[in-house]
Amino acid sequence: MPLRGIRTSTAARNGAGAFILQCKRLDFHYCNWAGSSKGMVAFLEKTLPTFARENPQIEIRVSPRPQKHPLIKGLYINGREKPVCVRNMEPHEILKKANLLKEASGEKLKRVKKPVTSLNESVRGIWSPYHGDLRGV
Amino acid sequence: MFSRSALRSLASELRLTAPSTISSAAPLQQRACLHQSASLMNSQQPQSQSTSSHPESPLSATPRAQDTQPKNVKTSTFDENTMTPQTRAHVPIAKQPVAPTFNSPLKVTKSLMSQLPHLVGQKPHYVVAQLHARPYLLTEGDHIRLPFLMPKVKAGDILRFNRASALGSRDFTMKGSPTIDERIYECRVRVTGVDSEPLRIKEKTKRRQRHVKQAKSKHRYTLMRVMDVRVKTPDELLAEGAVVVEESADSSVIEPRS
Repeated sequence: MPLRGIRTSTAARNGAGAFILQCKRLDFHYCNWAGSSKGMVAFLEKTLPTFARENPQIEIRVSPRPQKHPLIKGLYINGREKPVCVRNMEPHEILKKANLLKEASGEKLKRVKKPVTSLNESVRGIWSPYHGDLRGV
Repeated sequence: MFSRSALRSLASELRLTAPSTISSAAPLQQRACLHQSASLMNSQQPQSQSTSSHPESPLSATPRAQDTQPKNVKTSTFDENTMTPQTRAHVPIAKQPVAPTFNSPLKVTKSLMSQLPHLVGQKPHYVVAQLHARPYLLTEGDHIRLPFLMPKVKAGDILRFNRASALGSRDFTMKGSPTIDERIYECRVRVTGVDSEPLRIKEKTKRRQRHVKQAKSKHRYTLMRVMDVRVKTPDELLAEGAVVVEESADSSVIEPRS
């Protein structure tokens, strides 16, 4: 018998009913020695505790990464990750980057031209030339 | 002396009763391990059940429609200067969203009132919402990526679109002149986050010049999800204080499909 995948019965529409933030984890990497991590170390000491308190739904991990530039990595529910290098940045700039990762959807960046995407069927149905009244031009 | 069949029935009875107790206990433990709050919920069984039957406001959006009055409930532990507000109780009264004030009650013509049940009864509905003079045709559950970054909103915020030029179902369309009164319908959207486009690089050149300038742009856009599109019934409108008038020039009309 061939192996069958699990069929999804419904399409995920986050926010239509309950809302779950897509960012599930933020990893903060720093280096104790390097100068490019200076702002990052200050951020970890001053700003990160309040940021973590304000966002209890996000898991936050801090770990050293010696001899490398500082990095913030966001992990998302869809399985993707988004790394942002924050070398030589001030703490307020790093906070901006952390907020960017927090609000991001985790999808790959795409150029979208239509503002509305819908999974629903057309409400008014498809136009047919054989139905309805004739209309004067 | 027991017969073999009697013994077998006794054993099957034991087997029936024993695993049932084990199986009922095991999932409970698993559930407690799965989620942190599960142990709390088990300990406070009656209370949690009562709250789950009436979920908190973010989930059920309908009662919040009328709940745009500023709330002056204030928590004592909250410090405004250091923390960002999480609930509306944390926001100072001056900065809370203000319910729209209407000078006059909603006026509905008799013909509109008579045709409204047809529109209400036929689901699903769509709404053509206007945002910065651009139309967005929305149905329930749609995903919107606004062509701009909406300021002062966070992920999880609920907005209500109150400018609609048209509202309809399969066979009926209510057209506004130019917009439908916002008290007739509800269109609620939730902000789900901020998206960005891939970096665009445009090469700028001048004539007879080797220098090429690269103009870079990477805009950010607000993502939203339509929570509901709902038309109110005539009874609801009357209960909210709508007035039925004979005819008026600038009222919205319902047109059946030709």
